[in-house]
Amino acid sequence: MLDQSKTDKITTDLLRPIRLNKAFVLWMGFLGISLVICLYAYTLQLKNGMVVTGLRDYVSWGMYISNFVFFVATSLIGMLISAVLGLSGAKWAAPLARIAEIIALAFAAVAGLVIISDMGHPERLMYVFIYGRIQSPIVWDITVVSVYVVISALLLYLPLIPDMKICYNKLEKIPKLNRWLYKILSLNWNGSLEQEKIIKNSTRILAILIIPVALAIHTVTSWLFASTSRVGWDSTIFGPYFVTGAFVSGSAAVIIAMFFYRKNFKLQDYITDLHFDKMGKLLVLVSLVYLYFNLNEFMVPAYKMKKFDAIHLNDLFAGSYALMFWAVQILGLVLPILLLLFRKMRKPLPITIIAIFVIVGAWFKRYIIVVPTQEHPYLPIQNVPLNFKIYSPTLTETLITIAPFILVLIIITLLSKLIPVIPVHESIHQNEETQNEN
Amino acid sequence: MFRKHHFIKISLTFLITTLFYLHSFAQNWDIPDDKKTKNANFKFTNQTISEGEAIYTKNCMSCHGNLGKDNSLKTLNPIPPDLASVKTQERTDGELFFIITTGRMLMPSFKVILSEEERWKLTSYIRSLNKKYVQIVSETNTSKSNLIKIKMDFDSLTNKLKVDVKANETSGVVSLKDAEVMLFVLRYFGKLQIDKTVRTNNEGIATFNFPKDLPGDKTGNVDLVVKVSDEIYGEVETQSKFKAGIPTDKPSLTEKRAIWNVLKKAPIWIIITYTSIVLIVGAVLLYIIYSLMKLRKLGNN
Ligand code: HEC
Repeated sequence: MLDQSKTDKITTDLLRPIRLNKAFVLWMGFLGISLVICLYAYTLQLKNGMVVTGLRDYVSWGMYISNFVFFVATSLIGMLISAVLGLSGAKWAAPLARIAEIIALAFAAVAGLVIISDMGHPERLMYVFIYGRIQSPIVWDITVVSVYVVISALLLYLPLIPDMKICYNKLEKIPKLNRWLYKILSLNWNGSLEQEKIIKNSTRILAILIIPVALAIHTVTSWLFASTSRVGWDSTIFGPYFVTGAFVSGSAAVIIAMFFYRKNFKLQDYITDLHFDKMGKLLVLVSLVYLYFNLNEFMVPAYKMKKFDAIHLNDLFAGSYALMFWAVQILGLVLPILLLLFRKMRKPLPITIIAIFVIVGAWFKRYIIVVPTQEHPYLPIQNVPLNFKIYSPTLTETLITIAPFILVLIIITLLSKLIPVIPVHESIHQNEETQNEN
Repeated sequence: MFRKHHFIKISLTFLITTLFYLHSFAQNWDIPDDKKTKNANFKFTNQTISEGEAIYTKNCMSCHGNLGKDNSLKTLNPIPPDLASVKTQERTDGELFFIITTGRMLMPSFKVILSEEERWKLTSYIRSLNKKYVQIVSETNTSKSNLIKIKMDFDSLTNKLKVDVKANETSGVVSLKDAEVMLFVLRYFGKLQIDKTVRTNNEGIATFNFPKDLPGDKTGNVDLVVKVSDEIYGEVETQSKFKAGIPTDKPSLTEKRAIWNVLKKAPIWIIITYTSIVLIVGAVLLYIIYSLMKLRKLGNN
């Protein structure tokens, strides 16, 4: 009897956020208006060309590509939490898997759009398919990002099938269209053992498949840089360096999302202090690995200070990028690691604040990887105007860079208003298991 | 103390005179009067203007910018003037031709790179925005250049190339004395001048020393171009093949399959790796979709 009431409580708790309220409408309105402003900036770019940005012959990959790398990076967390932790049997991570998958899907899907903003005219994307060469990391990147989006969508969807049925059954007061959608998406779920088995197997296959694919997407993204002979990019550890960096920004994103879901959706019983504590430890772990790669990436060339490396590194360590460089390393990496070693700092509020520092640092880290290198070419063009040599992003460019973030927020908001962010079916299942054990 | 003062004084004097000299130098090009009055021997038409524009875009625009837009490369010193400016347009055709031909300091000489005809076509383009410009066409007889016959002779023992310049006048064959002769070899990106510019001797013969180590094609052939300029006969060019180079048989970098080659010549291992990965992942995804369809069917029963 107790069992049933508990199950009902779980269902109502987790389905409660799925409704339209004032806060949602206001929030979406705000996002919508912001998006329109950013899209206006994009029309300016379409009309006048890339001169509206700060991109010139020297720095042709600026904020857009930094943004792209950041988006691909953040999306990798889906693989880490739902696949690696899931397969290794870390039960605590199960309630977070869907949040991680939502973040993964939103960031990966929008990453492709970010690339288009850097191409100038959007129809140029076609040329990649028409004239693309199979030898080019750009073609690999497009392939692997699209595959990752599909797998992430499936990994989000599969465990959702039973929940769709629950939504259909329990949510009767929602618009007809939504109910119809739930019905279609629930694929005639009836909870039979056979169906359970199919879901379990398929999820397992995808969880295994997504690991190499996710590693590939960020490794290939790093090869876009590492396969070029340029100071600061010409590095053999760029693949793992990018992948570990990706886990850092992704973990931070999940922590921030957890905080907001817990607060706004009243999920204190499901996203507990324990989850923040564990995520905090995970963040420390991945940050330490990332710090180790940073040490290699900067220490080894800095020890030798080869002529061209020296120009680049001096600019980072003590030159025009020094402030950004050290702020990113210290505020975005070293301090968070130190702070999160303390249990108190892994409580929801402090860890969320730390995560915000980490994620902002992660964005600027991408900027530091992408931009300064291009200001120090091996073969400089002679007599170029100053704005070729020193990249300074324009307002229009900044707005176009913000647009993908708004898009990601819109996707995440819509998804969390359509589906329960904590798996309902699984939570009930786990609850039953623990009760049986007692 | 004294020595130091002295030194500064001398240096200053020297500096000021140099600056003064440079200053006056920057003002005017020393163009001989006979060059100033030189004119093209063909009429400037829309055809010559558009051909001139193409040459301009390739050779001049990087410094001088677009004609009349005042967007030349301002970081250079001296700043290359906009060639549609009044100052430049006040020059005679002969002056423009001379400047393009000889150049000075930052302004390159195009004597070797462009033919006389091309340099006149440039002049016609530079004039194209000037409404007040009236062309004076040179009276010189252009048909005289048709009379010139050039004979090239390569001696592989001494590695010397002998150029014999004659003109078939009605009065008989005459040797062209004191004509300017340049020798070039055709390379990937244009003409490479060989040896110095030489003048023909009394027999109309100019001799060039040919380098021993110039790479030729598979059989050692190189394409040689001889350019003869003469006050009376004008400019004439001929081209012919000689076995004057070292046989070189390097496969072109884009001949075999390679990372940098076109899609059709991609390395086999990349094609296999890429396609097999795409196929395997695609197959797994299809299997998942098939499983979902099965799941749906199960629910129907
Ligand atoms: C490397 C840069 C550069 C290139 C390329 C170049 N110029 Fe110049 N040009 C200059 C500079 C600098 C001056 C000014 C030189 C001076 O006053 O000493 C100049 C001067 C001139 C002048 C004299 C203008 C005046 O009124 O004083 C003419 C005519 C001219 N260039 C034509 C050309 C043409 C035609 C081409 C292409 C075939 C060309 N230039 C290519 C740099 C360049």
